Amino acid sequence: MMTSVPPRKTWWKSKKTVKVRRSYSTFPSLNAWEKFRGLLPVDGETNPGVGLGVEEGLLCQMVHSPEFNLFPNSVVFESNFVQVRRSRDWKEIYKASNTMALGVTSSVPCLPLPNILLMARVIWHQGQSQTWNRPSTVPSINLKSILPLKFVELQIWDHHERILRLRTVTEKIYFLKLHPDHPETVFRFWIRLVQILHKGLSITTKDPTILVTHCLVPKSLCSPGGKSELVQKNSKGLQPSESLTHLMAQGESEALSQIFSDLHQQKQYSSSRSEKVQINKTSSEKATPCEDSIPCTCDLNWRDAFMFGEWERENPSGPQPHSLLSTLAASSRPRLSLIGGNSI
Amino acid sequence: AYAYLFKYIIIGDTGVGKSCLLLQFTDKRFQPVHDLTMGVEFGARMITIDGKQIKLQIWDTAGQESFRSITRSYYRGAAGALLVYDITRRDTFNHLTTWLEDARQHSNSNMVIMLIGNKSDLESRREVKKEEGEAFAREHGLIFMETSAKTASNVEEAFINTAKEIYEKIQEGVFDINNEANGIKIGPQHAATNASHGGNQGGQQAGGGCC
Repeated sequence: MMTSVPPRKTWWKSKKTVKVRRSYSTFPSLNAWEKFRGLLPVDGETNPGVGLGVEEGLLCQMVHSPEFNLFPNSVVFESNFVQVRRSRDWKEIYKASNTMALGVTSSVPCLPLPNILLMARVIWHQGQSQTWNRPSTVPSINLKSILPLKFVELQIWDHHERILRLRTVTEKIYFLKLHPDHPETVFRFWIRLVQILHKGLSITTKDPTILVTHCLVPKSLCSPGGKSELVQKNSKGLQPSESLTHLMAQGESEALSQIFSDLHQQKQYSSSRSEKVQINKTSSEKATPCEDSIPCTCDLNWRDAFMFGEWERENPSGPQPHSLLSTLAASSRPRLSLIGGNSI
Repeated sequence: AYAYLFKYIIIGDTGVGKSCLLLQFTDKRFQPVHDLTMGVEFGARMITIDGKQIKLQIWDTAGQESFRSITRSYYRGAAGALLVYDITRRDTFNHLTTWLEDARQHSNSNMVIMLIGNKSDLESRREVKKEEGEAFAREHGLIFMETSAKTASNVEEAFINTAKEIYEKIQEGVFDINNEANGIKIGPQHAATNASHGGNQGGQQAGGGCC
């Protein structure tokens, strides 16, 4: 049971940032962002991910709490699901008060793809509204397992019913229906996540369209002062592991960043279309995320963590030396799709 | 609310009954067929030692070689380890040295290790004598018990005796409880009074509900 909750952190508020030039817009421009900020969630929450309950949610709070203190610097993308089984229709396996929280995160924040799946059992109080986003009373939430994503297959199984199929390499299969309390947007982000896990991002070696002939390495990291340009230089002299660490320094898990950046855009688009959303002028007075800055973990002993972590070394999802050029190539070509796709 | 939280890990070859021991301890039930553990599965239970509520946060790890690299990441920050072998499979006993080396290499030096010979209900198929387990434990400074996750024999004792040993080390000042790398956390209500720990040796035990 969750007994303590750490203070909320927002991934874009990392202490130090690296500015990365982009030839495409993952985030909206700063002005656009400011323009839309007033349309963000009704409770004044400046982070739409938090507003939707997919970021800094109950699962994240639990794994980051002192009790577990797991992956403290990594973003968690999470939602509440109902476990179902197939019969003529989908049937709930457990009582309505029993749900499952599913989340993905990275063992090290700067990995380009998430590599960990989190599963937790959630027991809601009788009659309690199962609101994942800021419930009035925190339900009982018990972390059940941590699975390396390389041993898990996630699929969109029933788009209409918003059901994911989670299959482990040991052939354990879960059908998980996104909780009805979550808006459609949340399911679209799960679709996007599944796509990313299957096909990778252009920043990773999973993208087969990028041919790698030689190694180009982003040279500089954060300056001691905290903010610096990320300069891309040819660095034939660097050892692969060093090159890797340079690459790693580019930011938080890129996939999660992608999801959240998509989320920010999606939220804005949907917000601009929705007449129900109230305008909250005060939200624009709060801290502004910079669309050109990617949080950098240069002050988080990430190098040690990377060198120590056994998962990362063996995780095929982790960046390989060959991915360096892919990274650069990806950053200089137009994005094919900015918003999460609707089909797999 | 608890006075202390102890982090345990359960390690040992695949199929020795690690997950079954956890299930028996937390849920008091036995499941003959259990899915292979891949990453880490969690269990928790409250126990009472010396009148103090102690929460055991138990990390059940993968035993199979393919998943083992993951396990090593989680030795860190464990106060106790249950090192399990199967008394009906000699090879699981032979691998104990490797497990122990792994544990010692990746954990804090004060971690309490309980050696468990599981499946003691299968006496007719025994391949490892109890004396061999005792000798191994003595040689390596471990606590030893034979258990049966199926019949629940000694399961409570294995978990609770490990906690007692950790508790005693806290009382003796061996564990720095303010260093979370030791796998011990002070409960919220106990934090204010922990400065004056000492004197009382861990003693009484009482089972508790699942938490």
